[in-house]
Amino acid sequence: MGYGRFLLKRGVQGVGVVWGVVTVVFLLRFITPGSPIDTVAPLDASQETRRQIARELGLNQPLYVQYLDYIWELLHGNMGYSYISSIPASVQVFQKLPATLELAVAASVVAIVLSIPLGVVSATRRHQPADYAATSFSLLGISTPNFWLGIMLVLMFAVELNVFPTSGRAYGFMQSLAAITGPRPFFTVVTAWVASLFLPAITLGTYFTALITRLVRSGMLDELSSGYVRATRAKGLPETLVRYKHVLRNTLVPVVTVLGLQLGTLIGGAVITEAVFAWPGLGSEIIRAINARDWPILQGSLIVIGTGFVLLNIVVDALYAYLDPRVVAE
Amino acid sequence: MAEKDTSRRRFLQAAGSATAAVALAGCSGTGGESSPTEEPTDTSGDSMQTTEPQQTIERPEPSTRDGYLQRANRHCHDQAPWVFLHRQYSVYGVSDDINWQPRRDERVDAYAIEPATDSGDSAVMTQSQMDSGLDPQDHRETPTDNIVLQAYEGLLERDRQGAIIEVLATDYRRLDETTVQFTVRDNVSFHSGDSLTPEDVAYSINRIVKESVGIASPQSDQLVGVAGAEVASSDDRTVNVNLTGLNPIVFQSFATYCDIMNKSWVTSHDNAYINQNMEGTGPFKLANYEQGVAVEFTRNDNYWQEAAALSGFTINAASESSTRVNRLLAGESDIIVNVPPQEVSRVNNNDGTSVSAVPSTRVIFNAMRYDVEPFVSPLFRQAVNYAVDLESIVQNVLQTFGDPTGQPTLEGFFGYNPDLDPYPRDLDRAEQLVEESGYAGAEIELITPIGRYLKDVEIAQAVAAQVDELPNVTARARQVEFSTLVSQVTTGKIEDKPHWYLLGWGNATFDAVQTIQPLLASDGALTSYKNDELDRLLDEAQSLPSESN
Repeated sequence: MGYGRFLLKRGVQGVGVVWGVVTVVFLLRFITPGSPIDTVAPLDASQETRRQIARELGLNQPLYVQYLDYIWELLHGNMGYSYISSIPASVQVFQKLPATLELAVAASVVAIVLSIPLGVVSATRRHQPADYAATSFSLLGISTPNFWLGIMLVLMFAVELNVFPTSGRAYGFMQSLAAITGPRPFFTVVTAWVASLFLPAITLGTYFTALITRLVRSGMLDELSSGYVRATRAKGLPETLVRYKHVLRNTLVPVVTVLGLQLGTLIGGAVITEAVFAWPGLGSEIIRAINARDWPILQGSLIVIGTGFVLLNIVVDALYAYLDPRVVAE
Repeated sequence: MAEKDTSRRRFLQAAGSATAAVALAGCSGTGGESSPTEEPTDTSGDSMQTTEPQQTIERPEPSTRDGYLQRANRHCHDQAPWVFLHRQYSVYGVSDDINWQPRRDERVDAYAIEPATDSGDSAVMTQSQMDSGLDPQDHRETPTDNIVLQAYEGLLERDRQGAIIEVLATDYRRLDETTVQFTVRDNVSFHSGDSLTPEDVAYSINRIVKESVGIASPQSDQLVGVAGAEVASSDDRTVNVNLTGLNPIVFQSFATYCDIMNKSWVTSHDNAYINQNMEGTGPFKLANYEQGVAVEFTRNDNYWQEAAALSGFTINAASESSTRVNRLLAGESDIIVNVPPQEVSRVNNNDGTSVSAVPSTRVIFNAMRYDVEPFVSPLFRQAVNYAVDLESIVQNVLQTFGDPTGQPTLEGFFGYNPDLDPYPRDLDRAEQLVEESGYAGAEIELITPIGRYLKDVEIAQAVAAQVDELPNVTARARQVEFSTLVSQVTTGKIEDKPHWYLLGWGNATFDAVQTIQPLLASDGALTSYKNDELDRLLDEAQSLPSESN
């Protein structure tokens, strides 16, 4: 199989998965208790008002008609309209997506910056205090619930020390870039942007920092016991060169793969962090949509996240195939 | 059954009217419910209720609407279709940087806020959620109300205590049974500079009640009984509102609902635009709108009254109560809504912030279906009321942020009966009533929503535990998602409803009928009760204008 055919196959599989996601997400509304009519209509609305709302929202149609209509509209780029605000779902979802991407990327940066040195130190000073400290941190990081950590960080750094804002998103990345030429002082905007991003990014990134620290540690320990390391040492290479040029590089291959895939998980996992920090991203929107049974927004959000996941997987597969042609052959 | 009920109701309506006529002719017309009761008094009109208490005290027929509504409340108290719980409080966290007092109707009007320190003349409020769009006539929930009311105004309004005051109307009166008239204030401008006209007022009313005019407004049920509006005289700036019948609470409704919009602005834009922009006459103009994130207002310097004390007002949201409290404590917000009892001490112990609470317009209760055992028996329903320790719930669960109730109508509302006290806790009496009802050994389950009302689950668990203390009743509480409960109680059929469930009801019209009619009248949209006598009392009340008092 050629490389192009391999990609085509992955692409077709990806379309199938996205279609599956769309179908499952669409059907979810029918197994979830409650109806959007109960959200839109006042409690004491008459039955006629409820029927009217059902007609307006298209909820009086049979299930298969609703499904086919939805697929047809989706193929034309229309995700429907919010039951609550009447704004197109695509507009509402893509308005919120940048904030969540920003948070996910910032959490990934936190994870990379902290986990690799911690993992290296832990592996190279095995059974020493530094190793114990790093492994304890990993254990705590993996076991600490996001919402608790977020609240604690806010209490300490925002309410008591007043160093960071408690919640909200002061500016976005694009607004910060625009401040270079805009009327607002660039430094003020960037400082406010980073300050509002800091605590949510730490909260969301802690679990992944801990996860990758363990991955780096175990990976390095495996590599350090490999034959080629003994050979390089026997050749008289300095230990620093052995560790960072050879061992770390080899350790990072699976780490980079995990990081790529975890970016998708971070977007999905941002829901709780966004709620704690009132971060105006897709996670907050999903919670609001679930509570309001605002299906077009919920479906749109989940489809975007699901499609992002599929695309990331395809990119990773493509990179693998490029780096290791045996994958294509298999 | 339905036909039988209808004919019987008609008969009772006729009988009630005749009695009322006699009362009008022969009595001094005190109108109210002045004599206190010690025993249940009203007889049932429904064949299902075979164990109704016997009537022991004859009372003269009321002669006023207030009197009928007070009598309806007495009926509810005695027949106990609910476990009467409490009036919920609105609890706010407020910064010392502002002077502001909360209102009873849960609305936060930035016009009433004044800077208290020299820390600036703008303020920030954090709600639990943002708006569902900025169209003032296309929503029906408090968070959106709080946003649109800064820029839009109605003909009438309520002051902080709930009394009706004129805003964009300078006068209002009833012309006849089916017509009321508003005189529209002169020299008022919309934010765009357009002058307010009687045409704008008539159009705004019609936009709510007539779907053909613009949208299917969710507020149409709030102006039920209003058929439409038309300009009576452009010179006199009068607008006539046509009613489908005598609507006794028409002015109360207009004091709560119907913001006035600029007709030319509305007709020249689509719904998406109207939902993201504002063109009102209010004290604040929209400065920036980030959907779902924040709404920023600036002062309207051309306001028809004295300009607002604040130069700017921002409303944002945080669904987590701890996040709202943190914002207040860190000085990022000046007002936060819905401070839960467990956070009150944190707010009060912090320098520069305090809690401000006010009794709201929401009543919390446990409805008991009149048509299923054991709740078919009024004696059993009374027993459950006697078994509940309201004082303890208010003190320990709500940390005093609630007032015990003994009737559907809240104190200060039109039709409230001042002679009715909450049921006292009396386990011996409760046990005895259960025995008399014939349902000793009953097992009952209280369904409660999770997180919909302040401490709802804890309240339900307390109620169930207290009822369970009766040796001859077994009670427990079960939690369900609010949407599940809503889907059961809004079908319009009593048989779809749980047998015993916790619900809350906000009534912004300050009139008893807006609580009793939907929740307890036979044809109420959410009713769990059916009784001809109560229906008759409501019918009589609705046949008289509120002004008759």
